[in-house]
Amino acid sequence: MDKLERLLNLTAALLDTPRPLSASELRARMAGAYSEDLTAFRRMFERDKADLRAIGMPIEVTTLHRLDPPVDGYRIPASAYAGRDVRFDPDELAALHLATNLVRLEGGAGAGLARLGGAGGEGAIESAEQVVEAVTAVEAVDELPFHEALSKLVEAAIGRRAVQFTYRGAERQAEPWRLSFHRGHWYLVGWDCGQSTERLFRVDRIDGPVAVLGPAVHPVGEGPDPRTIRPWEFGAGEPVEVRVLVDADQASWACHRAGVDGERQPDGSVVLTLQVRDTAALRTFVLDFLDHAEVLEPEWLRNEVIGWLEALV
Amino acid sequence: MTAAPASSDTKLSVAERMARLLGIVPWVVKQGGAHLDDISARFDYPRDQLLEDLTKRLFFVGVHPFTPDTLINVFIEDEIVDIEYADWFSQPMRLSSEAATRLLAAGRTVLDMSEGRVQQRPGDDTEAAPLVRALAKLSLSLGAEGPDGAGQIDVCLGHAPAATLGDLRQAIAERRRIEIEYYSFGRDAMTSRAVDPARLLSHDGVWYLFGWCHRAGAERVFRVDRIRSLAVTGEPAGVELPAGAEPSLDLGDVDRTATIRLAPGAAWAADYHEARRRTERPDGTIDAVFAVASESWLARVLVQLGPQGELVACDGGIDPDLRSATAARMLERYRR
Repeated sequence: MDKLERLLNLTAALLDTPRPLSASELRARMAGAYSEDLTAFRRMFERDKADLRAIGMPIEVTTLHRLDPPVDGYRIPASAYAGRDVRFDPDELAALHLATNLVRLEGGAGAGLARLGGAGGEGAIESAEQVVEAVTAVEAVDELPFHEALSKLVEAAIGRRAVQFTYRGAERQAEPWRLSFHRGHWYLVGWDCGQSTERLFRVDRIDGPVAVLGPAVHPVGEGPDPRTIRPWEFGAGEPVEVRVLVDADQASWACHRAGVDGERQPDGSVVLTLQVRDTAALRTFVLDFLDHAEVLEPEWLRNEVIGWLEALV
Repeated sequence: MTAAPASSDTKLSVAERMARLLGIVPWVVKQGGAHLDDISARFDYPRDQLLEDLTKRLFFVGVHPFTPDTLINVFIEDEIVDIEYADWFSQPMRLSSEAATRLLAAGRTVLDMSEGRVQQRPGDDTEAAPLVRALAKLSLSLGAEGPDGAGQIDVCLGHAPAATLGDLRQAIAERRRIEIEYYSFGRDAMTSRAVDPARLLSHDGVWYLFGWCHRAGAERVFRVDRIRSLAVTGEPAGVELPAGAEPSLDLGDVDRTATIRLAPGAAWAADYHEARRRTERPDGTIDAVFAVASESWLARVLVQLGPQGELVACDGGIDPDLRSATAARMLERYRR
């Protein structure tokens, strides 16, 4: 029997049965689908189960005590198969279809749309196209990274669960709030249970699998925003207010990088007022402008930068 | 872009066909029949493969005891497909969390790309756009308590002033020349250029503009966040980039190199600045060889590393005292 036909039949048999069935019972109910040879049958059955699970089939395993000796019994509960009854309108499917055409994620798109009811049909696609026409004409996005941990973390954030994972060699427990893609990296924003603080984790630095634990207890907060957090803002203690002067040619770029408006001077230059916890990170930022920027205040930090440069001459 | 008709040379794996068929069956049943071409386009299923799978495989699917009423019934007449007795497949299979996450991520990316333009239907600000509604439903299918709009994922494609991006989009759409003041980071210089903009690309969370630069007389790539000012002119954009030419973000062939000896505490710099080669020395320092596209890039790295990095070798006319010369120039500013 053709493999696709066999997988469909196995799925139908597992969905149809009200009670779990053993492998032999399944073979008997799927006459001719599997080999008569026990070893060959076992091998094929295990492979089919793995293939079905790979596309997300929720096969439930229970021990059958009605048989002697007890063996594993299998079924697919209809409720687990269908999940929540969430219906998508044709224009919603069309919009998702367009999104998957526009945005490639590392490792392929998967067959998500087919399960929701396909692309939404000709008319719906046209109407969604009108809405995003300008986008598709002139813009493109390079492939976005996708990590195995990402889907577990998103599910935990949505389902309000705590998770555990290995991060830079240490075990961490966290309550995910949000996954944020910023400057080429995915960040997990949430509550760090061990440190009792809000924090960011780089998803690509999570090693191995993510374990989903019990319900999250800490209320969802804003959390640090990777879009606005600047390197010099990391650290403990009270921040120091630092004023930096940047020349006119670099002014708008500097404001943009620092995430502040700054005070424009008559000659077009700008004075940025920054809240600084990590002065080494601030020094790196200022030095990036070569001789187009200088630290004005506080005096001691200005002298520190001067001392740094003097040591290099 | 159209509905991407499934081309006949697309090869689907058994798993892909299986996943699609489990979506097709309940959909066709609910429609009360559907045209082969519609199914093929909607589910991205090559037509010939679809016809074969429906008539030669799905047709024989059923459950014990395989009497006619326990077998799926597939009729095809005048290319209209009708399916009966498929009770076990009457509901579409739920999305796996990975499939849902991928759809969410793609959808949130488009929302960021459009910066609000697809949030609402044109001419109707009372109803959320289809994409926004779809993302809210996806998060419901992943277990959300209420339709909270899938705020658990957000995507930032690049930091650039909204006005600049907006003007660029408009100029590209209307095919008009722009004049920009651009800060070239590598050469540490501000330049004014007339550019015929062609397209925008987000790469690693940064927006780039591709276009024809009249000053250089060649195709150029600009980082949008380094455009200081931008004016859309009345001139039409005259030069077209070759069709289908994929813009490249490679630095190109850079043959100048510099070797920096990094203290153990600065080893990260070899990764961060993508060293071409690195050699660990007995005392724990690392000699890292970098491609040098411009001297001002190297000058920055050296003054930022400070005592943690020493320039030990360089070629191509790079000043061996670059760090000292740069620091001296910078100090002048502090002493004025």
